[in-house]
Amino acid sequence: MTRIRCYWGWVAAAIAFRILLICFPKNLNLGSRPEVATPLTSLRRLAEGYWLKQASMSPYAGSMYHGSPLLLSILGPFTITSLMFVIVDFVTAMLIRATGQKLMLKCHQSLQFLNLSKLVEASGNVEAGNFASLVFLWNPLTIVTCVGSTTAPIDNLMAVLAIYGACSCLAPLAAFGWVIATHLSLYPAILIVPLILLLGHGPDAPPLKLFQQKNNSASGSSPSSHSHTKSTQTGIQIDYFSWRPVLHFLLWASIWSCYVLVLSSISLKGLGGLLEMFKKTHGFILTVVDLSPNIGVLWYFFAEVFDFFRNFFLIVFNMNILFMLLPLAIRLKHRPCFLAFVYLAISSMLKSYPSVGDSALYLGLLGLFANELAGMQFSFFLFCGYIGVSLLSPVMHNLWIWRGTGNANFYFATGIAYACLQTVLIVESVSTMLKYDRMLRKHITT
Amino acid sequence: MALEEEQKPKGGVARSRLIVRLGAFLVSHNVFVSVVCCIAGIIALLLLPVLAKNTYISENALMPGSANPAFSAQDVMEANRFVKDLIDRRTIEGTGIEIPRLIGQHMAGVGAEVYYHKFWPHKNQFHPLHFFSCAPNTVTMQSNSSCASVGVNSIGIIRAPRGDGKEAIVLVTPYNPWKIELSEALSLGLAFSIFSLLGQVSWLAKDIVWLAADSQFGEYTSVSAWLKDYHSPVFFSESGKMNVDMCYEYNSHQDWDRITVNWANANAFKRAGTMAAALVLKVLEKKERQERDSLTIYAEASNGQMPNLDLINIVHYLAVHRQGLRVKIATIGSLLNSVWLRSIGEIVQRLCRFAKSLDPRWKYDITSADYVEGSATLASSMYYQAIGVPTGSHGAFRDYQVDAVTLELSPWFSLKNENSQSAFLLRGGRLIEGVIRSVNNLLEKFHQSFFLYFLTAPNKFVSVGVYMIAFALLIAPLPIVAVAPFSGKNKIRLSTDKGNQRPGNTCTDEIEITIGSWKWLHAAKVVFMIHLWAVIVLLLPYFISQIPYISPTTSMLVWVAVAISALLIVYLILGSPYSSDCEWALLKSIMIAAAFIGLGLMSIINFSTAQIGALIVVPMCLMVRPLKRHKEVALCTRVMLMACNLVLAVMGSPPAALLILKGLSEGFGRVGIGDFWVWAEFLWIWNSATYLYLFLVHLPCWALYVHILLHP
Repeated sequence: MTRIRCYWGWVAAAIAFRILLICFPKNLNLGSRPEVATPLTSLRRLAEGYWLKQASMSPYAGSMYHGSPLLLSILGPFTITSLMFVIVDFVTAMLIRATGQKLMLKCHQSLQFLNLSKLVEASGNVEAGNFASLVFLWNPLTIVTCVGSTTAPIDNLMAVLAIYGACSCLAPLAAFGWVIATHLSLYPAILIVPLILLLGHGPDAPPLKLFQQKNNSASGSSPSSHSHTKSTQTGIQIDYFSWRPVLHFLLWASIWSCYVLVLSSISLKGLGGLLEMFKKTHGFILTVVDLSPNIGVLWYFFAEVFDFFRNFFLIVFNMNILFMLLPLAIRLKHRPCFLAFVYLAISSMLKSYPSVGDSALYLGLLGLFANELAGMQFSFFLFCGYIGVSLLSPVMHNLWIWRGTGNANFYFATGIAYACLQTVLIVESVSTMLKYDRMLRKHITT
Repeated sequence: MALEEEQKPKGGVARSRLIVRLGAFLVSHNVFVSVVCCIAGIIALLLLPVLAKNTYISENALMPGSANPAFSAQDVMEANRFVKDLIDRRTIEGTGIEIPRLIGQHMAGVGAEVYYHKFWPHKNQFHPLHFFSCAPNTVTMQSNSSCASVGVNSIGIIRAPRGDGKEAIVLVTPYNPWKIELSEALSLGLAFSIFSLLGQVSWLAKDIVWLAADSQFGEYTSVSAWLKDYHSPVFFSESGKMNVDMCYEYNSHQDWDRITVNWANANAFKRAGTMAAALVLKVLEKKERQERDSLTIYAEASNGQMPNLDLINIVHYLAVHRQGLRVKIATIGSLLNSVWLRSIGEIVQRLCRFAKSLDPRWKYDITSADYVEGSATLASSMYYQAIGVPTGSHGAFRDYQVDAVTLELSPWFSLKNENSQSAFLLRGGRLIEGVIRSVNNLLEKFHQSFFLYFLTAPNKFVSVGVYMIAFALLIAPLPIVAVAPFSGKNKIRLSTDKGNQRPGNTCTDEIEITIGSWKWLHAAKVVFMIHLWAVIVLLLPYFISQIPYISPTTSMLVWVAVAISALLIVYLILGSPYSSDCEWALLKSIMIAAAFIGLGLMSIINFSTAQIGALIVVPMCLMVRPLKRHKEVALCTRVMLMACNLVLAVMGSPPAALLILKGLSEGFGRVGIGDFWVWAEFLWIWNSATYLYLFLVHLPCWALYVHILLHP
């Protein structure tokens, strides 16, 4: 197993680097970049909402702010410095690390049970948790999101919290993370499928069929062996879908959502009720009202489309995400954490106001599967593509907005390239994961 | 069951997607593809003058030359009177105040709103984080500048009778009030006569702003200072502005009072809406005699930006077809007489004739002389774009998205001759009037025609769609060669799979491959560290320039010394630079990928820089190979490869390349080490993206090239 040398040193360096960058807010001016700050996550808009609320007006008046009223109360006084987000990033990284350790443990157990531990030794395993948290912390996109004064780190923290809670079978925690994440940015709502699978089945493991095969062969060859009977028991445990934590989760989720709604209505008391909140936050997300350019593809499309087709295409684009949920859930039901990663990547590709913060999240989670995805094709291509697109996007924006020699198509082209890259990443990672499972099966049968 | 599983992946490989198979085919023939693409790219570059199209006016609203010019001999007389006035004042003391005042008086005389804009000369300073911001980085010189070093622009605004005051056309005439020349006086006179004519016409729909720019600190400085104040309102809390006013009151109390008494608010900044276009007028007396009055157009702004082609088109159309001027744009003179270019021209001419004989619809007939001239013009156009420094004060306008050109008129006869001077003024005046009338017709911002183009003659251009082909062909081999090592591994895997079908072996093979597919990360680390080093080298001049009283040579030596020691430190951090887990082939492919991304980005920011850079970087990327690995090839090829590599290694390093080029053009005696420092300083004070390119793309590429050459 390859260990990462001086892990804590790297973590400390990442935090120090962020604090160093925070010292130059004027020079970097990341908060005004369309790639970093979206209408939903911009901290400047939050400051405006906070100001409106202080002046006892609805924070949604003036159509600047589109976030949660709870964020106003929590973040409102701290809009000047993004020091808080450094802490948020650190906590997220630690949660990813803990999740990775849980996953590793499970992976080792199941591989040992399948008598494939030699595979682990041969392939030079990395510690997934440490690796993923370092990938998350040192990802330039994460750093830019953290320094660029947006609320995206909090959204990411909540999504990771939900996954961590489900991995360690803490239904209240998972429910809390899920409810808050949904409340803040709506799209994490689709994480409910992997969360239920996680709570029911436990963390990622090879397909169930393998265990059954192994059980059959084990009972057929040497039923008397002590170790085998023991592992058969664990095998049966894996097989079993436990409904109890799932029901717990659902119960807690309803409690937390009631709680959040009550808190929101208290904080919006007399300033326009919950209905306006839903209209201005989730409604704003679903109807793609703001057509200012971002790295997604929807703004351009809805700027071009005729008004009488608008509703139809809104339905099409929003359903697009939902269509993919079921097939993926069926195919990847034995790997719920990976499923969560795929869902997050898909939603970040198809959401209405994407930012680099979303890719920061799923790229961080990608590190959790470093061992399984070691044989991924096009890794070099994807790496270069991400670097190229993230450099190209500001240049095209400059050409369009500041120099005036380019036009909207220039910037949209980088949006398309970015979407293509994400597609390739998702397709390749899913197919590599399936190939990995196939390889396991091959080793068992031969 | 097991057999089925075995066959599945193999079937998958055979039936892999078409695009992947095409890619694999290209990659497997990468040497052939790269040689063909590079040669094709260079040929396409040489053919650009042939592929140039005639310009045409694509905005219909412009309607150039549709009205008869109203500029008459009377206006010329007025101009002459004004010029005489100016020349008379030349001898009086304190012309620095007197001439702006005189201009202001004349402006007011034709019914314009007048004000004076005072500005401090700005000292350009290097700031690491301000590239690509709109205006160049200027820091006001606070200390040690006496009050005399304040520039005064006089600005007159004619409000359009048919306009709503939301749009304006700007006329700029740079002149030096302390030492006014006859040619400057003539340009002022010309501008004044046009201005007074426009004060009377009824068709004006856009306000006319005449900026008589004080060019004692350089033409660009005054115009950019005025534009900055025009676009960013300054309030009185800012101390710098107050200083200027106070200083002026103190220094020339009486003179200034007279002006302020005449016009109550002569110092209040007035505006006239967004600028549709700007014309910078200059008159220049040429040394050599010519048969006609001529007009030279300068258009290159900072970082290779060009004004909309329509603006150049109307100027060219009116100058040639209405006023009979000879229109020129800058060329590189030495290329006009070069033998090799002429021989290429001969070949091209023959090829064109041959092509025409094949199909008469191909209209590529170009004579050898035309080709040579077109190439020289193209080369100069490319050179000025690549440097990224504006060729005149029109560059300041481009930073605010205003299309602007400099029109440099030069008479065919001596300026002192009164008769020819009048005829010259009449032509010039009619030309400017026509251009302004055309722009006045414009309904929206210039947008119809091209922004991205090269000129090969005043009426011929190469658009972005054509010149990008040459560039794309040149850099197309880079991604193909970059992925070659990765596909090579796949090939090995296939052969081992076919070779031994035993399941045990495939298992270990696959594990090895799974590690192998991420092996490039080690090489990526080296490349990343080299790029980090390049960033440090890029930022060093900022700190070196803080040291007071340091000569360019010393600065350069300090720069090089610190850079090399930083490189050594980077190597120390990395451990052994040539550790066993870092194969040179992977290193090469990552270096190529980085260069490809860099060149691609640069081609969008400043195409010319990328094109010229690609001519050096692409061969470097494709040829690189450790010197010790040449043993397996034949002797003559080995010697040739080695020679090529060494030449590239020397020519590729930025300082050596600059010094050799300079030595070749000016003689090696006058070349010093400090020249590179001076040149780099020149680039960064103008915020040229070329500076960034040189240190973020070219330098790391060269460093990695040398690194790989020395690889054991």
